[in-house]
Amino acid sequence: MSFLRIDNLHISLGDFYLKDVSFTLEKRDYLIIIGPTGAGKTILLESIVGFWKPQKGSIYLEKVDITNELPEKRNIGIVYQDYVLLPHFTVFDNIAYGLKKKKCCQKESKIREMACMLNIDHLLHRRPDTLSGGEQQRVALARALVVDPKLLLMDEPFSALDPQTGRETRQLLKRVISKSDITVIHISHDLNDAWALANKTAVLREGALLQFGKVDEIFNRPRSAFIANFVGATILHGTAEKNGNGLTSVNIDGVKLASIDSAINGSDVTVAIRPENIIVLKK
Amino acid sequence: MRRVDFFQTSFIAITLFITILLIMAIASLFVVPSWDDVRHNIWSEEMRFSLKLSLITGITSTILVMLFALPIGYALSRFRFWGKGLVKTVIDMPIAFPELVLGLCLLLLFGSTILRDILASAGINFVFTKKGIVAAQFFTALPYAIRIMKSTFDYINPRLEFVSRSLGYSMFETFKNISLPLAKNGIVASMVISFARCIGTFGTVLILAGGSYMKTEILPITLYLNISYGNMGMALTSGIVLMIVSFLAIFVFEKAEVSL
Repeated sequence: MSFLRIDNLHISLGDFYLKDVSFTLEKRDYLIIIGPTGAGKTILLESIVGFWKPQKGSIYLEKVDITNELPEKRNIGIVYQDYVLLPHFTVFDNIAYGLKKKKCCQKESKIREMACMLNIDHLLHRRPDTLSGGEQQRVALARALVVDPKLLLMDEPFSALDPQTGRETRQLLKRVISKSDITVIHISHDLNDAWALANKTAVLREGALLQFGKVDEIFNRPRSAFIANFVGATILHGTAEKNGNGLTSVNIDGVKLASIDSAINGSDVTVAIRPENIIVLKK
Repeated sequence: MRRVDFFQTSFIAITLFITILLIMAIASLFVVPSWDDVRHNIWSEEMRFSLKLSLITGITSTILVMLFALPIGYALSRFRFWGKGLVKTVIDMPIAFPELVLGLCLLLLFGSTILRDILASAGINFVFTKKGIVAAQFFTALPYAIRIMKSTFDYINPRLEFVSRSLGYSMFETFKNISLPLAKNGIVASMVISFARCIGTFGTVLILAGGSYMKTEILPITLYLNISYGNMGMALTSGIVLMIVSFLAIFVFEKAEVSL
């Protein structure tokens, strides 16, 4: 049985909703969820962590039904794009906050080790409002990771950072995650995050899960024109033609493209081509 | 030469006009009376009784108001429940009521409904008693305190609480560790407004607790009774004392806010 199983999750919160979302994750999976604004991505994360109670459906974590479990009992960490550090605590106290509830020893050394790993050990005495965006995000990551959550949820963790800081934080995150056996669900608008970090990708739109699968599957075999467009493919329209050998080709304004998918002869078809797969040769 | 902006100048002129008018109104309280009268009246038995009762009831009411305003403000800000819109309207209603009408409503509630009998069996009577002063002040100040507390909690990012819950803290622990410390400025502001409303409440107190000389006589009642008798010296003195107490309360609360 899978590590995380979401079954027909249905939630309605005014303008935001989820419609029968289902997927499964194995341990150590890294899922990137992409989708336009208002697709319900954040609600999905907040439902998994337990902030919203679904009207229908269930959530299983390590074979246990946690649908009605309180957030504090789930051991699921969450990191937001706006860091959400506790402004009245120092960096040290922010990281220590979750550990105070845990019955574990050597808390201080654990905090320092995590701070070292995320290059924030020199900031432990500082207040959050004196830190840069990148530093604040690393503190938020340290706070979520130091308690060894079963599952880590991240809501656009790099979107508020400048491109350079975003890249550095992404590399740091990759290093930290690779050293642990944590399972991650990460919302992102940056498709590079999917290639750099994830092994699975999901596309969400208007509360519905349009496609879920391996990263290359979503990028190379998108299920709809919307997904293809969203993941950066070029969309072309043509007519399907059967070759003599039974294979299908697509006629786009006189240019014929061979297709591995079959289609009815003469039907109008949509072709998605990734720009990096087009090679222009000199005759 | 700099051009004079008519729009800006006229708005500033209106602001200054009202400010000067208010300063003159406040100053007249200190200019008109004879200071020998004030000195004499301030140590009178009636004034000492009135001041003591005002402070005791004002502080008691403020504490009670805050004990209710905190959970109500939090509930209205954070929770979704059936009839929330109606609850908000009903809680805000006393702000729009004239104090006399609110007093009349409370007099009928505590004086002629089943609640009177229930309270009487527990030995509590709000009608024409000192307890009635606290009840009147409580219901007058509560809507203001709730409004401030609700706005304060609205302003605190709920995700701070979400993160705290995800880190193992219960809803109550999160409220204690996160929401309350972050709401401290709002709590202090709410206390200042509540105390000022409580100490200055007149109409509600007059109707529910009565304006009995040396019995339910708080500072606004002293002012009213003495104006009725034509004793302007005593009335002005109670006005001055009321103003000084309110000023000191705001000063003390703001000092407390800085040290929090």
